[in-house]
Amino acid sequence: MSTILRTLRNLRRIGFKEYGHQMNYIGDTKAGTLIGTDRYGNKFYENMEEELPLRTRWVDYKEHEYDPSQIEPGWHAWISYMVDVPPTVDRALQTGVRAWELPEHRPTLTLSRAAFKTYSTTRPKYSAWTPVAAPR
Amino acid sequence: MPFQCQKPIDKRPRSSLTASGRRRKEVALATHDQHQSSIQYALTTLDQVANWALQGSLWPMTFGLACCAVGKMHATGPRYDIERLGMLFRASPRQADLLIVAGTLTNKMAPAFRQVYDQMPEPRFVISMGSCANGGGYYHYSYSVVRGCDRIVPVDVYVPGCPPPAEALLYGISLVQKKIRHRKVTRMWYRR
Repeated sequence: MSTILRTLRNLRRIGFKEYGHQMNYIGDTKAGTLIGTDRYGNKFYENMEEELPLRTRWVDYKEHEYDPSQIEPGWHAWISYMVDVPPTVDRALQTGVRAWELPEHRPTLTLSRAAFKTYSTTRPKYSAWTPVAAPR
Repeated sequence: MPFQCQKPIDKRPRSSLTASGRRRKEVALATHDQHQSSIQYALTTLDQVANWALQGSLWPMTFGLACCAVGKMHATGPRYDIERLGMLFRASPRQADLLIVAGTLTNKMAPAFRQVYDQMPEPRFVISMGSCANGGGYYHYSYSVVRGCDRIVPVDVYVPGCPPPAEALLYGISLVQKKIRHRKVTRMWYRR
């Protein structure tokens, strides 16, 4: 929901450069406080007072070819309103990296060269034969 | 800037005929092509414009077969509103770009499904939504169910789940849009 007054007000706060950037990415003009940046480089913003419900938190992706899976799990919980506080101050996320965790977050690699391909680890239950055709 | 690859083109000796007996025509990969002309630059821009136009108005075909269609309706509803992505459900396959197979594809439905796919104009994309469409799912061992809609049509994106939430479908749609953005229609035509 955008009105001319709201657009102009936010434009005055963020400036023309950020306005063009936001129109290219989120298609809206928003002003808020920078809550944090994840290890991937995405920036997370919040404006709890003026924005409509469920539009109060948003992300400024680092990459132009952005993808929601580039958001780290902790920040995903924050931006999906599962938790109230960002992962930088969340007590439950202060435990550090476990041994079985990947050291860095990995986005979905579908449609890239590193995409997952299924494979079988069991022996095939049947084997193909080489057909022999009798000469006609 | 175009991607510059340092690797030379494979110059090993080969037979001059293909396996089917025709003359072999060697074309360098786009990444190996050192010669960059202004026509390629123009065609890249043309491709980007065409892809932008297509991915911004991707009209899906109404093809709800089972309970996954409810998840598709959620994506249409006010919370996940896919009309903001320019997606408008069409009842006619001749006006649709995207086929979202939502639900169990039965043997009885399969010919009709194939006909719907054949009636769609190119370029067309298919999303297989839910376990039943992906591989039969819960009804995999049924006598009357096709074990995956990719046995009938080529599928671009598989969305897992039983049923998938609307977020998962939206993510699948965004993957289709990503695939559209990387199409090289006129560039491939120029290479030929």
